[in-house]
Amino acid sequence: MKYSFYPGCSMEATAQANLVSIKAVASALDLQLEEIHDWNCCGATVASGVVGDFTQQVMTGRNLAIAEPKGQDVVVGCSSCYLSLAVTNKRFREDEHFRALANEALAEGGYKYNGTLRVRQFLEVVINDVGFEKIAKKVKRPLKGLKVAGYVGCQTVRAIPYEFDDPEYPVLMDRLTEALGATATPFPMKARCCGSSNAIADTKIVLDSALKIFESASQGGAQLMVTPCPMCQLNLDAYQQLVNKVHGTSYNMPILFFTQLMAIAFDLPPDAWALKYNIVPPGAALASFGVG
Amino acid sequence: MEQTTKLPESVKYDLTFAREIYSLENGSYIKQCMQCGMCAISCATRDIMDYSPRRLFNLIKLGKKDEVLKSNTFWYCTSCCTCKARCPRGIPLVDVMHDLKRYAIKNGYVDYPQAAFCKAFWAEVAGRGKVFEGGVTARFYLIRGLDEVLKAMEMKDIGINMLKRGRLPMFPPKKIKGMGNLKKIIRKAQEIQRKEEAR
Repeated sequence: MKYSFYPGCSMEATAQANLVSIKAVASALDLQLEEIHDWNCCGATVASGVVGDFTQQVMTGRNLAIAEPKGQDVVVGCSSCYLSLAVTNKRFREDEHFRALANEALAEGGYKYNGTLRVRQFLEVVINDVGFEKIAKKVKRPLKGLKVAGYVGCQTVRAIPYEFDDPEYPVLMDRLTEALGATATPFPMKARCCGSSNAIADTKIVLDSALKIFESASQGGAQLMVTPCPMCQLNLDAYQQLVNKVHGTSYNMPILFFTQLMAIAFDLPPDAWALKYNIVPPGAALASFGVG
Repeated sequence: MEQTTKLPESVKYDLTFAREIYSLENGSYIKQCMQCGMCAISCATRDIMDYSPRRLFNLIKLGKKDEVLKSNTFWYCTSCCTCKARCPRGIPLVDVMHDLKRYAIKNGYVDYPQAAFCKAFWAEVAGRGKVFEGGVTARFYLIRGLDEVLKAMEMKDIGINMLKRGRLPMFPPKKIKGMGNLKKIIRKAQEIQRKEEAR
């Protein structure tokens, strides 16, 4: 199956592990990802605070307009990009007035978007287009006994509520974890906000949010966490040491992209695991599976 | 007859401000708020907000311009979308918060560091078509000044760890090829947006 792929800015910098592991897992599952030519930033949840939703969505629409002639579903790897692209796409599809005005702006650059595409999260594509059964069959290194907290984060399931999972208590990532042979642990805070882009502007917000998330995951007995979101991964991984320092805790919780865990369970070459980018070393949790 | 009990001071409504906010892209949704408080109990950062979204909406209706624009509420909104998903009236609170951020920046209410972050982020998009995370950070500190830089020194370990792990490229990504087109598109979009809000 072929898809148009929107990587997003973070995959070229702080979330390279996401890009590497998504590409490897997609290829193992026969999903062909064709990068959208000359894509531009989606504006995340930040740009609209300066230029407004309309302008941000027009800008995001440029990517959809470039992708449209191929007619393939657009696959997004980052939660914030997914929020931006999916909401924009919904407006192009459902709001005629918006579509007309947005196309008037896009025409300045020689583009037009008719709203014919579907925008999808890589997580959802893996679950619905490949399916748990096929995924389980690909597992060559069953992660039996590994206790995993599935941190879905906020935007993946709430960008468009009920699009593919419950916005309050999502379950699909846990089922994916179990398809890899691991155990999904109870984790009430699995869709709670990590503090998002406040990491730079107001670090305390992230430190306090992360503390609650670590508490919740640890109480469920998790040895590591997986997430689909580059922002969540960065905040929980890079700021974990500071959380411990500020709050007097001693968490040592590896934070992996779910695709990294898939790459390990599928026994893809170690490069595909992309563990060299992880700041909290996942060695201890994964040592018994020959990873380290 | 002389009045013996003193009546409370009447509330002064300043509808000019309220109307201005209602005219923003998502502003008119505020009128639908029935003060149920679902947003307040759903909010991930409510604990540190000076007004919950519910109270902020009420202040807007009352026309309390200064209280609204000086509040930290919309800056502390992390766009987690819990309130938006739960609002029984279907108010897209997150999008309203975006409007309030933009309105505040436009009117010079930029004391919160989040305002500097938004501006730094946008400068990256507008200049390259793509965001370079290192660039956002550098621009943020340029706007915020020395105090903030000193605070950031406490976090140098985080930067060092990220650098060691290959997660902080030193050079920004290339400009997108269609930068000229993107600029034209953005300019036109801004023009249309202004027209729509003036309607």
